[in-house]
Amino acid sequence: MKKILNRPDDYVDETLEGLVAAHPEGFRRLGDDGRVIARAAGAVPGKVGIVTGGGSGHLPVFLGYVGDGLLDACAVGNVFAGPRVSDCQAAARAADGGAGVLQLYGNYGGDKMNFDMSQEFLELEGTQVRSVRVCDDVASAPPEERGKRRGVAGMVYAFKIAGAKAAGGATLDEVAATATKTADACRSIGVALTPCVIPESGKASFEIGNEELEFGMGIHGEPGIWRGKLKTADQLTLEMLDRLWAETGLARGDRVAVLVNSLGATPPEELYIMYRRVAAVLADKGVTPVMPLVGRYATSMEMAGASLTLMPLDAELESLLKAPANCPFWRV
Amino acid sequence: MVTSQDFKAALWRWSDALQAAAPELNTLDALLGDGDLGATLDKCASNVREALLSMPTELAGILKACANACAKASGSSFGTLLAVAFLTASKGVCKSESLDRAGIVRLLDETVAALSSRGGATLGDKTMLDSIDAIARALEAAPDDADLHRVGIEAARVAVQQYRQKPNRIGRARMFADKSIGMDDPGMVAVLRMTESLDGERDTQPY
Repeated sequence: MKKILNRPDDYVDETLEGLVAAHPEGFRRLGDDGRVIARAAGAVPGKVGIVTGGGSGHLPVFLGYVGDGLLDACAVGNVFAGPRVSDCQAAARAADGGAGVLQLYGNYGGDKMNFDMSQEFLELEGTQVRSVRVCDDVASAPPEERGKRRGVAGMVYAFKIAGAKAAGGATLDEVAATATKTADACRSIGVALTPCVIPESGKASFEIGNEELEFGMGIHGEPGIWRGKLKTADQLTLEMLDRLWAETGLARGDRVAVLVNSLGATPPEELYIMYRRVAAVLADKGVTPVMPLVGRYATSMEMAGASLTLMPLDAELESLLKAPANCPFWRV
Repeated sequence: MVTSQDFKAALWRWSDALQAAAPELNTLDALLGDGDLGATLDKCASNVREALLSMPTELAGILKACANACAKASGSSFGTLLAVAFLTASKGVCKSESLDRAGIVRLLDETVAALSSRGGATLGDKTMLDSIDAIARALEAAPDDADLHRVGIEAARVAVQQYRQKPNRIGRARMFADKSIGMDDPGMVAVLRMTESLDGERDTQPY
């Protein structure tokens, strides 16, 4: 393992310490073990609170999107491990401005179990809670089993749009409905070139040959669709677009949000080489890209690879996507 | 009949037993899962022990305090499932101060149903659900003069043996289900250790 760290077991806590020290205006640390990150300004009275949570190792996902017009709080697990139920509850309490709380997170079995349990406890306390899971990774299950798909970079759009909806004063049911609509609209697919090493175990998340890539691999090294020789950026991008296109239902004249995301080690140069091809294909199909995002939005530490997310937009989604938002990792 | 006093006393033994079994459970889990089951249960046990110092006197409150204690143990699924089990039992006992055999069987059945709906496992998947169900069925069928502790322990032990030659159908182990044949499910062994601890006079036995 070749990483800049002190003790592997301190990886997550020391990350959080540094993060809060660097951004005291945005973040504060809560919870009996400091595993909750909340907006420094606290819950907004009368606003629906939005919380998320999940394993560490994906910055800016999850906690990085705590901010104005975004999330209110986040429960933080160990690297690639779910957050504690008690931290999900603590995050919800920190986010609760009296108008109820939306739990918005990626579709992983452990996270679902913990957030469901958190919801049960919170409801016993009298808090109104709704839960929406993001299932955007098309490689992880066929369309007819969409509910089994994992949540990946599409979470960023769900955080942004639900955050904007809540900031606009919508009710809990309205925010949950818009979050569901966003989650339903997102489609993503990733390619992995090299693994990352999980600090606590010192082990690589998967093994892969020097000349190989895995198409459709998940952000924790979950198996993808095929593994084979490297291809050119254009070939890869076209194949990724192909996998997403049919499911998006996009037609000439439509508008679409596009995210070309680095899984960590892949540099912006390579992402722009990919975006170049995406833009050309969209132009050819007569579909307009809106507010393209190209950069590190949902990562797996030092994993090399990229993901592509498409989200067809209607007027509501587009205006919420463009609404002001601010966190240390992203400003709109 | 189990009173809330009996139950509190049993919880001390329960936490001792889980902490004693932690290395064994870590080793078993390393073969099929993340290798952290013992550590997770060790933390659940120490949280429950801490909570025991300020626990309410009625069963529902005790069970709910146990659920909270397990909910802050770790992000691992087994800790959460234990919390689910305790919270289900807490809701099931309502305001009663004691439980008879039928009440215990009903709680075990409700717990299996809740664990199944939360965790996604069904009976036959080779999980702790199969052990809990085996205990419920054995308690139900036992004659009136039977030693129910002994019946429960025996059922948990037999469940581990009966599932040894079957594949794990859920969790990480399902990805190499064939390899799991011949191995004991760590969660089922955990239930055996828990059941043994409820009887103050009996020691841990090989299974």
